[in-house]
Amino acid sequence: MQRNFLETDRVTVAFGGIVALKDVSLSVVQGKTTAILGPNGAGKTTLFNAVAGAVRPTSGKVYFQGADITNASPSRRCHAGIARTFQITQPFGGLSVRENVMVALAARGVTMKEARAEASTYIDFVGLNAKAEDPARILSTGQRKRLELARALSTHPKLLLLDEVTGGVDRPSIPELLDVIRRLREERGITIVVVEHNMEVLLGLADNAFFLNRGEVVVTGSVEEVADHEAVRRIYLGDADVAA
Amino acid sequence: MLEVFGRRPYLVLLVMALLLAPVPLLQLNDYILHVLTLFLIFAVFATGWNLTLGILGLKTLGHHAFFAVGAYASAMVSHYFGVSPWITIWLAALIAALTGLLIGFPILRIRSMPHVAIVTLAFAEIVRLVFANLKEITRGELGFWGIPPFDPIQIGETTIRFGLGNAAGSFAVAAIMFVGVHLALLLLLRGRCGLTFLAIRDAEAAAESLGVRLAAWKLFAFAISAAVVGLSGAVYAHYVLILTPTSVAGPEMLISLLAMIIVGGVGRFFGPIYGALLLTVTSELLRDFGDFRMLLYGALIIVFVFAAPAGIAGLKPRFSRKETETRKTVEAV
Repeated sequence: MQRNFLETDRVTVAFGGIVALKDVSLSVVQGKTTAILGPNGAGKTTLFNAVAGAVRPTSGKVYFQGADITNASPSRRCHAGIARTFQITQPFGGLSVRENVMVALAARGVTMKEARAEASTYIDFVGLNAKAEDPARILSTGQRKRLELARALSTHPKLLLLDEVTGGVDRPSIPELLDVIRRLREERGITIVVVEHNMEVLLGLADNAFFLNRGEVVVTGSVEEVADHEAVRRIYLGDADVAA
Repeated sequence: MLEVFGRRPYLVLLVMALLLAPVPLLQLNDYILHVLTLFLIFAVFATGWNLTLGILGLKTLGHHAFFAVGAYASAMVSHYFGVSPWITIWLAALIAALTGLLIGFPILRIRSMPHVAIVTLAFAEIVRLVFANLKEITRGELGFWGIPPFDPIQIGETTIRFGLGNAAGSFAVAAIMFVGVHLALLLLLRGRCGLTFLAIRDAEAAAESLGVRLAAWKLFAFAISAAVVGLSGAVYAHYVLILTPTSVAGPEMLISLLAMIIVGGVGRFFGPIYGALLLTVTSELLRDFGDFRMLLYGALIIVFVFAAPAGIAGLKPRFSRKETETRKTVEAV
């Protein structure tokens, strides 16, 4: 059976009695940027974690490039070509920016000398070269988001999962950050899945979108179609209890 | 990694080695050499423990078990089978490493640090009880005596002897182990290993998402850490020549070593050395106070946790950073 680049097939994730995702099936096309939208508690990050391997689905399957990766560890998924960033940034605070990037390169088997040199490429790409030798813990939120992009990039990903990439970032820094993300796709051909609250950001970034509410996919389509959908507007306006 | 190792770690170690080298030739009295020998053994113990506690970030509280395993393994093999302690100390390190792997496997499944602490603490208590109850082999709390000292070494006309009563030779063995272990760990930790351990410590989920194989690296760290602690235990056994389960795996050992690491600086490579020096010397100075020494240790832990959480090793960089910031502000103005 021919499968899409990334597919979730009826994925359900339950934490005890709480069902965070219910029968979520979606597919991501290679080379496109796909947005996952939804209000707080919709299951966006859980879906992300299920794809990245941080959470094992209670039922259902996850396929990447046709292979079943449902039970693969996050490190195996990384070696297969899936990289991610985090909603709340997770820098290695005791390491410098360069060393943060070197961790991923070392995990790929690159020698320390080569890793030190190669790290510069990714640090330059995200515009952190002035901070390369600074400890990661002193970076601002926006700089941490860029550091996570550089780290993810150093794994040579085919699929990049970006969790609330503008969350906590000061408004003036957002356009620069979005520019880096666009260049990831245009210059490096990386397929991107992005979770984001800010509709304005998504309209300029994503091709397709999935709208989640209470753990289920409610609307799918192009990002413009999803943004204009009546159900999406109602839920975002806080009228979630009204049937779509 | 600057925060962990400082700017010139090899130079710092070289200075330490140069300071230690002439000590056996200084004709110091045996008591001072005894205190310094204990400091060196405990410094290696504390550094080994700091590898998982401070550098990998696993809050383990049972490393005195590996010290006991190393001490008893080397003592028993040399006593019962007549094998030279020069060989049994390495065997003891290997046995401690395998024991580390044994406890490392269940710990991999535990995400909560308080639970890691409790499980490892319980493991140490089990080890202590096993040695206490295997009376036919270990003589329990009566003490395992008859442990042979290291075989003498003949250099030209001079014979170097070891064990209690041969202070200079014992100091030399401890000093060589101290420098050798720290050099080996520096070589290991300044590369891929150290980078990966620190990444796991700071953000485990992020490290795994970047391709780091958590289970393999954690087990490796546990094995290395246990081997270092086991080696220090083995050298201790052939120095003091008598062991009791409580003396090597009891609560006093746990508190003393934890205090050395915390006071010296958790997660700083040289921190445990400073802590071991300060507390071993202080402990000897306060010997007249008996069990009240533990009160002092407890108080020191509390003071350092609140006033200087980065320990002695963290004091200098802290001041340096302040100075740098002040300088930047001044330049900006």
